[in-house]
Amino acid sequence: MDKNIPRYNVQLYIYDLSRGMARSLSPIMLGKQLDGIWHTAIVAYGDEFFFGGEGISSCSPGGTMLGPPDTVVELGETEVTEEIFMDYLSSLGETTYRGDRYRLFEHNCNTFTNEVAQFLTGRSIPSYITDLPSEVLSTPFGQILRPILDSIHISPPGGNIINGGRNI
Amino acid sequence: MAEQGAADLGNNNNNKPEASEGTIIKVTVKTPKDKEEIAIAEDASVTQFKEEISKRFKAKQDQLVLIFAGKILKDGDSLSQHGIKDGLTVHLVIKTAHKAADGSSTSASSSTSTQAGNSSASSPAANPAPTTVPTGSGQAPTQTPNIMSGFGDLASLAGLGMGSANFMELQQQMQRQLMSNPEMLSQIMENPLVQNMMSNPDLMRQMIMANPQMQQLMERNPEISHMLNNPELMRQTMELARNPAMMQEMMRNQDRALSNLESIPGGYNALRRMYTDIQEPMFSAAREQFGSNPFSALGGNSDSGAQPSRTENREPLPNPWGPPNSSNPSESGGGTTGSTSTSGTTNPSVSNPLGVNPASLGNGMFNSPGMQSLLQQISENPQLMQNMLSAPYMRSMMQSLAQNPELASQVMMNNPLFSGNPQLQEQFRSQLPIFLQQMQNPEALSVMTNPRAMQALMQIQQGLQTLQTEAPGLMPSLMTGGIPGVPTGGAVPAENPASSPSSAATNPAQQQLMQQMLQMFAGGGGSGGGNGTSQTPEVRFQTQLDQLNAMGFINREANLQALIATGGDINAAIERLLGSQPS
Repeated sequence: MDKNIPRYNVQLYIYDLSRGMARSLSPIMLGKQLDGIWHTAIVAYGDEFFFGGEGISSCSPGGTMLGPPDTVVELGETEVTEEIFMDYLSSLGETTYRGDRYRLFEHNCNTFTNEVAQFLTGRSIPSYITDLPSEVLSTPFGQILRPILDSIHISPPGGNIINGGRNI
Repeated sequence: MAEQGAADLGNNNNNKPEASEGTIIKVTVKTPKDKEEIAIAEDASVTQFKEEISKRFKAKQDQLVLIFAGKILKDGDSLSQHGIKDGLTVHLVIKTAHKAADGSSTSASSSTSTQAGNSSASSPAANPAPTTVPTGSGQAPTQTPNIMSGFGDLASLAGLGMGSANFMELQQQMQRQLMSNPEMLSQIMENPLVQNMMSNPDLMRQMIMANPQMQQLMERNPEISHMLNNPELMRQTMELARNPAMMQEMMRNQDRALSNLESIPGGYNALRRMYTDIQEPMFSAAREQFGSNPFSALGGNSDSGAQPSRTENREPLPNPWGPPNSSNPSESGGGTTGSTSTSGTTNPSVSNPLGVNPASLGNGMFNSPGMQSLLQQISENPQLMQNMLSAPYMRSMMQSLAQNPELASQVMMNNPLFSGNPQLQEQFRSQLPIFLQQMQNPEALSVMTNPRAMQALMQIQQGLQTLQTEAPGLMPSLMTGGIPGVPTGGAVPAENPASSPSSAATNPAQQQLMQQMLQMFAGGGGSGGGNGTSQTPEVRFQTQLDQLNAMGFINREANLQALIATGGDINAAIERLLGSQPS
């Protein structure tokens, strides 16, 4: 039975990096409708966590330069305590989610968010977010821009990097 | 069989051969580092599961934390109780002694970092934007990272988990925190200490002078020091710094004034000169100091006092993911020129030019979302540009494109962007050879690798866009062959929709589209990063409405209607209005 196990709420913050421009311009540029260029972050324990070109970062919710999120999805609750979570993030930050592992198309902020969401709640993030890279790549324009885009690291400023405890 | 428990798929565990009862399921156990498949009995308990895992992962059982569907698996539970079935994944975190300690320290630090942000509001004397409230004891503090040491060795503040012992970074982070939290900002502003300081022009001036880069700049451009010494101006700026709404208003005015300036013969050249002489070094100076943070001047940063009408406009436009236009001194430059031009004559040599290059105006595509973040990233990370350009494929791509214009044009033509637009294609084709040549030009390459140059280029475009919304009629005359001036691999299609509005004045749909795009940028930038798209027409056409008002069309309703009908095109709107009011 649940003997008052503390539960922590987990949310997904979704940001549109294009500020609405993708919704209007994507039909022209890409030939298909994309409602946004999605950047996501997980909010739990009063902090926001996301993966960028510098690795895993955290900040206060809505505290990056992107401002407040466009959408917030409730992912549910988790029993995982903050301590365990930070351990987990530290491990991730040393291995699969180091800064140099960032890949705009294959291993980006949304990949991270998806994995963390599954860890914390067992649920994944909405598929329209994780499908974005393949959507873009399936257009000719995306293919043309691919070499350039591959070298982009999206790193919303405003966060502190989590580095497996080697923070300072 | 204990040691072979792992290999032995038949039995689940060491000394409890009760496995043969239940079916064996394969559960994937995933750690941050790797994952393994573990076979275990369906009705096994978590303890047994942990035993298996501890063998496989070579960790002690009490270090293991198992998580499934957001729940922590306790030893007393059974797997089936949690619904763990064949093929599912269970997450594992291995607690190591030092990791646990680190975990708590990182969580402590992350929470303290947020607190630090808040505490800055309550103790501005201690550590807010090190830029605004240094000591308050009347000395002329330097506003560089030495702030902290000025407070009696607050070096340990870095240990608050701000993420860096480097004061420069600390300062940047403070600024970021500040900017991300407008309430904090206003709190700081309201603090009487801050206000006192800000209302003391002498103090401000001292602070500004103390900055070595400012000093350099001032040497090169005596006009700047004139500005500094003008108390009226300083006061106005500080007023503005306190009041973001006012700032926006001011910016709008400046934009308009600037566009007026454009129309004066010779004005454009003057502006351009202004830009290169003054804008560039100023901006570089500011940037050097504050890293790549375009909003460094926010928060009443004394630098903003320093360049009152210059950088104030960088300020309350926290919309970096949108076009960096709003953040740039390019527009702020409009400030001083605004004041000079409204006083009647041009002489824009004083200050800040918009750095207009109307040729690249309306590079709508260039400012597409991807481009924007690309450019943002580029300007923030010079390495990135370097890497990009030196990537072997990039070079060979450019070379082959240059050698083979046919191929290039094919590649570009296939882009759906062009498919509906033969005019665009024509234009592009003629531009293509020039463009490709430029790409090969090492100078162009070095421009691309120079983040400041890129930033400057971006500013230019932004300025141009604003111009276009303000004075679309101006464009045809200004849109000469300047387009090749903005090289970026793969951004080629970007330039053409831009050129089309000029020559394709015959293409109203295109033009409207451009207008809308530009307005979105201008609107998105001007509204302080609120919500880019969902603005009422009234907000979007605010500037146009003002202009129409100024021209004497006082019927706001009709103006709005006309603007909506023409998509923000002022001239067309005027014609509409005139058509319906015969006088």
